[in-house]
Amino acid sequence: MNARPKPRAAEVRLRRLLVMLPWLMERGEVPVAEAAERFALTEDEVVSDLELAAMCGLPPFVDELIDVFVDDGVIVVGVPRLFTRPLRLNSVEAFELLAAGRAAMELPGADPTGALARGLAKLATALGEDDTTGVRIDLDRPGLADRLAAAATASEELAIEYWSASRDATSERRIVPRQVFADRGEWYVSADDDRSGSVRTFRVDRIVRMEPTGRTVAPSDAPLPTPGAWFNDESVRRAVIRLAPAARWVVERNPSDTVSAPDAAGWVTATMPVASEQWLVRTLLRLGSDAEIVEPEEWRSLAAATAGAVLARYRRS
Amino acid sequence: MADRVERLTNLLALLLETRTPLSLVQIADQMVGQYPDGLTARRAAFERDKSALRDIGVPIEQEIMVGGDLAGQTRYWIDRARYELRGLELDEDEARALQVAMAATRPGSTSGQEALWKLGAGALDRSAPVAAVLPDLPALPVLREAVAQRTMVTFRYRDVAREVDPWGLLLRDGFWYLIGFDHARDDRRTFRIDRIEGDVAGIDGRTFERPAGFDPRDALPADPKQIGAGADAAREARVLIDAPRATAAVADLGEHRVIVRRGDGAVEVDVPCGNLPAFRSWLLGFVEHAEVLAPDDVRRHVVDWLESVAS
Repeated sequence: MNARPKPRAAEVRLRRLLVMLPWLMERGEVPVAEAAERFALTEDEVVSDLELAAMCGLPPFVDELIDVFVDDGVIVVGVPRLFTRPLRLNSVEAFELLAAGRAAMELPGADPTGALARGLAKLATALGEDDTTGVRIDLDRPGLADRLAAAATASEELAIEYWSASRDATSERRIVPRQVFADRGEWYVSADDDRSGSVRTFRVDRIVRMEPTGRTVAPSDAPLPTPGAWFNDESVRRAVIRLAPAARWVVERNPSDTVSAPDAAGWVTATMPVASEQWLVRTLLRLGSDAEIVEPEEWRSLAAATAGAVLARYRRS
Repeated sequence: MADRVERLTNLLALLLETRTPLSLVQIADQMVGQYPDGLTARRAAFERDKSALRDIGVPIEQEIMVGGDLAGQTRYWIDRARYELRGLELDEDEARALQVAMAATRPGSTSGQEALWKLGAGALDRSAPVAAVLPDLPALPVLREAVAQRTMVTFRYRDVAREVDPWGLLLRDGFWYLIGFDHARDDRRTFRIDRIEGDVAGIDGRTFERPAGFDPRDALPADPKQIGAGADAAREARVLIDAPRATAAVADLGEHRVIVRRGDGAVEVDVPCGNLPAFRSWLLGFVEHAEVLAPDDVRRHVVDWLESVAS
């Protein structure tokens, strides 16, 4: 039935203890279940880690590290001695906090004088950031993102006209926004979509028109896609592409399964998910002779055919 | 033999509590029966514990005795002031707000979760109604520290070893940039952090002054079509965009770039073309839904490009 949990490494257990103990000492009494949920452990793990901590000590030099016992599902901590304060932040933790906070300040609904702004200011001071210019995050948020986020909060239904890049056509649909997110320089909204009857992710800059229908609709419980992870889907087709040094941005800007080391001339070979042929067409057209499709066969002549079609337009006029 | 977690915890407690630095012999004496008796095995076990503690961020100080009976002996201790998180007293709502921020931008980050626990916040929520995906690069924490401490860094970039005064970091258009003074080039430079080759190292003792009023946002043009435009920055091309793409294009470019609105919904816009490859790349993103009308040389350039791809 249940897979036996892997034994946790000593370092992992110690790290968890060092954040759990100060918190417990401040609280004095805490239900085991609450501690387990907070620190992402099972109740058994919490109890065994605390039993271990209670056993530690080096009499007579450091007699008893922590006075703790579990009674009827409740952790009781006695007189605090050691480990009353957490370990300082390491450089990765410091960066994660600062970047997450600064990025969240660029999201719809952020309050420039709210709790996040105040917490960030304290954090920045503690980390030796003397102003906000050391780490800047610019998400270049379109006005529509705020409207969509507000609609998600209010379960508001919206009528939109949407240009689909994969079909190169616009469509009218009704959506109930559920999550608005930024990824790789673009903004997206994941929403319950009436046309497909499922959750769909739309690029915000391709919403041609948008207005509320005046209805409120309870959001579905269909799971949301993880932002930035659509390409993990195995049903998405793959292409093998050779890219010149000048075209390297394609693999920096887009997800890829594998990228080879550069050859003598600096070219790399990449295997990339291709969610839409239109995307591939646009990309190949921009790259010109800096890119070459290896597989599949049917896409090898795609760029030339498209360039011919665009040229026809210039010859007409 | 004691459980490894127990031994690590005891070692940590001992080094925190001791009033004088301790040698390995003294440590083993205090921690009766927890380290092997054999000298080589004991040293090996202690070194492993020491690096495990350092890996989780515990600052272990050490000194080597000079002179006297104990000359050459290494002694260890932990400075509590450097060990403990201090100077960061967050109110409950502030810690909670950082927790929400982390869930929205770095939901899978174990370091982020660890940091939040240290601040007294709880486990990360799974899904946030607004979110951003932040690119993760190993060089970022080191660079952030160097920017804050005004310490010069070295790294390889485009096959050249650089010495750079890091002035600031900027995430824009999905990429992290470092802006700073490149000593090899004797000028200000912008580096894409994901293109840095290998590790970034700070150079102790090499500090710098940052120019007053510096803001990394000013170092990069907001419009990618302008990057590298140089002397031609003011040059513009007239582009016709067909109806199906017109609304989105105008929303992106700004109403002020619209010169003509045609009856069928198409628009004519004036767009910077000083950086020709960047302009061409933007234009071809429309495939057959956009056409350069003027100037002639830019139109010619696009036609030549298309002919070379078509052949």
